[in-house]
This record gives sequence, C-alpha cells and structure tokens, in this order.
Amino acid sequence: MKWIDRNNLPEELKNLPDSSFESLHQEDIKDEKFQTKPVGFFRDAMIRLSKSKVSMISVSCIVLIIILALLVPNITGYSFTEQNLGNKNLPPKIQGLEKLGIADGTRVLENRKKDALSDPDRYPEGSVLEILREFDSKGVAMVDVKVDYYKYVGAEDNRYHWFGTDYLGRDLLTRLFQGTRISLMIAFFSVLTNCFIGVIYGAISGYYGGKVDMILTHVAEVLDGMPYIVVTILFMILFGSGMVSIVLALTITGWIGTSRLIRSQFYRFKGREYVLAARTLGVPDLTLIFRHILPNCVGPLITRVMIAIPGAIFSESFLAYLGLGIKAPNPSIGVLLADGQKVLLQYPYQTLFPAVLISLLMIAFNLFSNGLRDALDPTKRGEE
Amino acid sequence: MADSQYILEVNNLCQHFTSGHGKKKMTVKAVDDVSFGVRPAETFGLVGESGCGKTTTGRTIIRLYNPTSGEVLFNGRDIASKMNGDLRRYLTDNIAMIFQDPIESLNPKMTIEEIVGEGLKVRGMKDRAEIRQKVIEMLRKVGLVEEHATRYPHEFSGGQRQRIGIARAIIINPKLIIADEPVSALDVSVQAQVINLLNDLKEEMGLTILFIAHNLSVVKYFSDRIGVMYYGHLVEVAKGDDLYRNPLHPYTKALLSAIPEPNPLTERSRVRVDYVPERDHDYSKEQPSMVEVEPEHYVYCSPSELKKWSV
Ligand SMILES: Nc1ncnc2c1ncn2[C@@H]1O[C@H](COP(=O)(O)OP(=O)(O)OP(=O)(O)O)[C@@H](O)[C@H]1O
Ligand SMILES: [Mg+2]
Repeated sequence: MKWIDRNNLPEELKNLPDSSFESLHQEDIKDEKFQTKPVGFFRDAMIRLSKSKVSMISVSCIVLIIILALLVPNITGYSFTEQNLGNKNLPPKIQGLEKLGIADGTRVLENRKKDALSDPDRYPEGSVLEILREFDSKGVAMVDVKVDYYKYVGAEDNRYHWFGTDYLGRDLLTRLFQGTRISLMIAFFSVLTNCFIGVIYGAISGYYGGKVDMILTHVAEVLDGMPYIVVTILFMILFGSGMVSIVLALTITGWIGTSRLIRSQFYRFKGREYVLAARTLGVPDLTLIFRHILPNCVGPLITRVMIAIPGAIFSESFLAYLGLGIKAPNPSIGVLLADGQKVLLQYPYQTLFPAVLISLLMIAFNLFSNGLRDALDPTKRGEE
Repeated sequence: MADSQYILEVNNLCQHFTSGHGKKKMTVKAVDDVSFGVRPAETFGLVGESGCGKTTTGRTIIRLYNPTSGEVLFNGRDIASKMNGDLRRYLTDNIAMIFQDPIESLNPKMTIEEIVGEGLKVRGMKDRAEIRQKVIEMLRKVGLVEEHATRYPHEFSGGQRQRIGIARAIIINPKLIIADEPVSALDVSVQAQVINLLNDLKEEMGLTILFIAHNLSVVKYFSDRIGVMYYGHLVEVAKGDDLYRNPLHPYTKALLSAIPEPNPLTERSRVRVDYVPERDHDYSKEQPSMVEVEPEHYVYCSPSELKKWSV
C-alpha cells in the first residue's frame, strides 16, 4: 500500500523545506487560573434552593413550627399534664381577638330550660350573653342560649386557653405543641435509624452484588412482606407504648425503602470510571463505599429523608388513631386527633387545630423535599 | 512469545462475560486468546474498532475484571493469579490506568487535590501539606496551576480533565500506564496536546505505555509497536513502521485504508478497503494461529493464508 509517493506530487509541494512542518504550538501547555470562586456541590445546591420561592416558604413554615414546638409548651403557663376537671372542654379564648367576636370563649347551649337562666348557681352572673331562640316543648319554656362559657363554668377572669381545653381540662395549645415536639422527635429518630440501617444494608448489597446482594435482598423482601400492623402491635405489646417502641416499630420495615434506594444508587455508581480509577489506585472497599460512591447518592438520600419525615409523622398518627399511640398523658399530634375526633361534633376545635398543624407539616415537608430534589439534581449543577 | 525482555507479557488471555442462567445463559467473548508483550519504556498501541475488547483487555490486565483464563506476567510475576493483598499492592504500585471518558473518570464530589492526592493517601502518606505539595507538583507537570487544586471537576474542559487523570495516574510513580483511549473524547487540537504530554512524561519518567485507541492515526504517531484487535482476537502485531509498510491481515488493511491523508492529492485517490471475515477467510479446513512472518511481525492466519499474504 502506498502512502505518500513523492514523485506524484505537483511541483509546488515537492520541495517544501522541513521547517514548514514544525508545530505552530511550541510553548508548553499552561492554563490560566480561573476567575470564578470555587463552588462546592452543597453551596451550589443551596444557591439554587434559595432561589425557589416555594421551598423557602415551606422551609420557613417548618422552622416556625419547630420553634413553636420548642417554645410554646414552656410559655403558656400551663403544663401539658395539668388537669382541671372544672374547666373541661372550654372553647378557645384569645386576648384581643375576643372583642372581635372570634375565639371569645362563648358557646351556644341548646335546649335549656328557660327558668334555670335566673338561677345564679347554674348560670353565674354575666354568663348569659344572648338568648337566640325561645320555644315551647311539651309545655316547658325552652331556650337556645349563647353563654360566656368561661364564666358559665366559673373559671377565673384571667384564664385564657387559646385553643381551648380537652375533656380533662388540659390546655390544648400546650398539648398541641408538646405533641408536635414528640411527633417530630419520633419522626426524626425513626427516619434517622431507618437511614442508618438502610444505607449500610443497601451499600453492602449494592457494592458487593452477586450472591451477597441476592441473600440480602431476599431477607429484606421477607421482612417487607410481613403485615406491618401486626408486627407493630406485637412490638407494642412486647415493649409497651413508649417512644422507643414506636420508633422501633416504624423502623422494622421503614429502612427497606432506603436500602433499596441506596442499593440501586450503588449499582449505578460502582461501575463508573472514577470508581474504577480509585480501585486501580488501590483504594480499599470501605473508602470506595463511603468516600467515592455514597457522597454521590446524597442527593436522592436527602430527598428521601425529607419525604420520610412527614410519612413517619403520619404513621405515628395512624398508630395513635388505632390506640397504639404514645402512652398517656403524653400527647402527640396523632393522640390529639384521636381524642378530638371522639367529640368532633360537640367540640370541633379540638380536632381542627391538630388537623391544621399536621396538614401544614405534611405540605411543607413535601414541598420542601420537592424543592430539595430539584436543587440537588446533579444535572442542574452550576445553573443559576 | 515467552521472552524475558518484556515488562508486560500477556499469554492466551481470555475474558468471557456471561449473563443469565440455564438456557438463557449467554457468553460474550470480549477477549479471546490474546497474547502480546510490551518492552520496558516502549509504547505499545492497541487498536481496533469500537467493541472489539480493547478496554476489556486493559481492565483485565489491571485486574478490574478477573480473567477467565490465561496468564499475565509483569516483570516475570504472574498478576492474573488469585487476588490477595500482596498482589493487589504489587499491581497498584506498578500499573496505573488512564480512562476513556474525561467526564466520567473524575469524581464530581471531590476536589482536584483529593482526586490526584488519593493515590498518595492510600499509600499511607498522612501529612496534608506534603500531599498538597506533591499534588501541586504533578499539576504543574501536566500544565495546570496550583489554584486548580481546590476546584471541582465540572469546572474543567475535557482536555484539562484528561490531564488531571494523567496526574492522578503518574503521582504514584507507576512503571506501566494503561491509557484507555485517553484522547478519543477530545477535540483534535487538544488530542495532540494530551498525547505530547504523555510522550514527554514517558521520556521524563521512563514509563511504559499500553496505549489503547480505535484510531490508527493516533497510534501511528505515538507507538513503537502496534497490536490490531478484531472481535476479541489480536489479528496482527508489528512495529509501527512495518505495519504501515506491509500490513498483512485484511482487517489491518481495512483499518489503514480508513485513515484520511493530509495530502489532498493522494487523499483523492485513497481507496477504502472493507473487511468481511466470511469472505476474507476460510477457516473451515484449517485453524488460524499467531505466526511470526518476519521478525517482530506477527499475524493471525491459517497456513494457506500465510502463503498467500506473505508473497
Ligand atoms: N462488564 C461487561 N459485561 C458484559 N459484557 C461486557 C462487559 N464489558 C464489556 N462487555 C462487552 O465486551 C465487548 C468489548 O467491550 P470493550 O469495552 O472492551 O470494547 P472497546 O474495544 O473498549 O470499545 P470502545 O472503543 O468503544 O471503547 C463488547 O461487546 C461489550 O459489550
Ligand atoms: Mg473502550
């Protein structure tokens, strides 16, 4: 095979001097410094996160609720266990708002005997505010009457329960935020243990693959197949209904999701060239797992944790609803909801406040984790 | 080809990947009975089309994959045998690899300093300042500046990343570097830059390079000897010049005919040859094997083909 046949070349190409064939690029390669500042992965993600309005609103919402949960039970002046049977089921009464006609501590009592209104033992001085309806029932004069319920039960003048009281006369504001505290703690600890177990289990199973993976995956599947409620009930019976046992109950199957996620991430990353490169340098397995592969799974992991927190709060409420909640007199949002719905028709506010709070928490956590997922998306790296 | 003049000697190396079980079991013979040797301080080029098993060969040598069978000798020591701590250390101290994909081969969550310094850390260097010092020295060697050490990979261009990959490989002072298509993902202008850098380093540090590429023109410029691979087989091994002057295997001819020529006049008359194994070979009667047709020039052929080709 011929390459360049010098004789076939036209005249002008025949006698080119060697100097025509020198590389133009003579100087050494030397790169410029970068003009920009180095930006780490997390700073980059945080910059993107702070640009999303929804995320910022939801994160402030979460922070606010956490602050309230830490603060409120200490400053209401009531303790969450303090019972006062004389003051049970008081409606909400808030300083300032009472003059506007909302949260003024009034209730409408229906079907009362009209005669009794003048009895100061039953209707103390000034407790009757307005007679809404007068009617006759089997010859007895009856009324629907709007009363100042605080005066009606004989509470002191300066007693205020912002969210009312429950069937034992405990202040619901204190209990609600104490409950939030406990619910958040249960959620936090259960997600933390789930994460811990799930990450290690998933990492081993994904990194080593093959037979190890097969066995570990099957074990997880068997656990996952057990009826969750039954296991939880057994757990509660065994360990009592304390916080620890609830956390453990939420952990039994909770970690499986995390481990699956981590396993799939490990499968995705362990064959990457940078992992192979580290292996050819002799980097040991543990360093590969924790230093090279795991940091690349942090994005999905954080997102999952953020989604798991409202999930855990919800599961806890669900357990409480079934009567498997945390031990009395400790409240949790779930316990409050369960108590509240028993008297939903008479005292709707007892359900309303915990319901609003749990909804807020769920929405805020979900929106925040959505924002976080977008912010941590590696394909958006470096974007504004 | 047993010969102690080789620093790396690959004998009958096979790497078969299997998938599925029972009836659905499939075997891919990514590398099948490959033998060659690399001399100290030379550059051995391994070429072949995409998917012919070049990467697999390189990765099997450095034991990212466990070989199905065969023998790999490095300085006389078998490195294809059962893995243990001692062998691992021997391997990682002597052989380093440069990877194909400049984006994939650097961990996006680590700074350049961490990436390049990793090899030292693994070897027990504790002092951060000392590691930093070495890293900066290496970065300078590959044409980067000190300030780049604190950066993350995504801030670099492809050529720069590939140079970072080179710095990571040479920081441990290996004897052999397996360069797996280090330039195929780069722009032509940058390709020359990276190859020149490798060449300089090779001379400076006395490196031996196993250079993998799918493009003969790159290998031609760079390699002392060249092996041509086709579907898991090594079909021809020769000195660079011999291969260009006198290609014997039809696949080598086809590869050579695909190189565009710089001279527009000869380029116009360049004829592309194609390679169809079914048409070009008749292996029904005789089995092909590796034959040394002239000194240092091996070709994979059957006896009748040998007669036909070597006239
Ligand atoms: N881990 C694996 N499991 C199964 N098959 C594989 C594996 N790695 C590679 N192969 C197969 O082996 C063959 C050779 O692949 P290899 O990556 O070595 O090719 P290559 O010559 O490096 O190609 P390229 O020039 O595109 O990099 C291909 O058919 C590929 O599909
Ligand atoms: Mg390849």
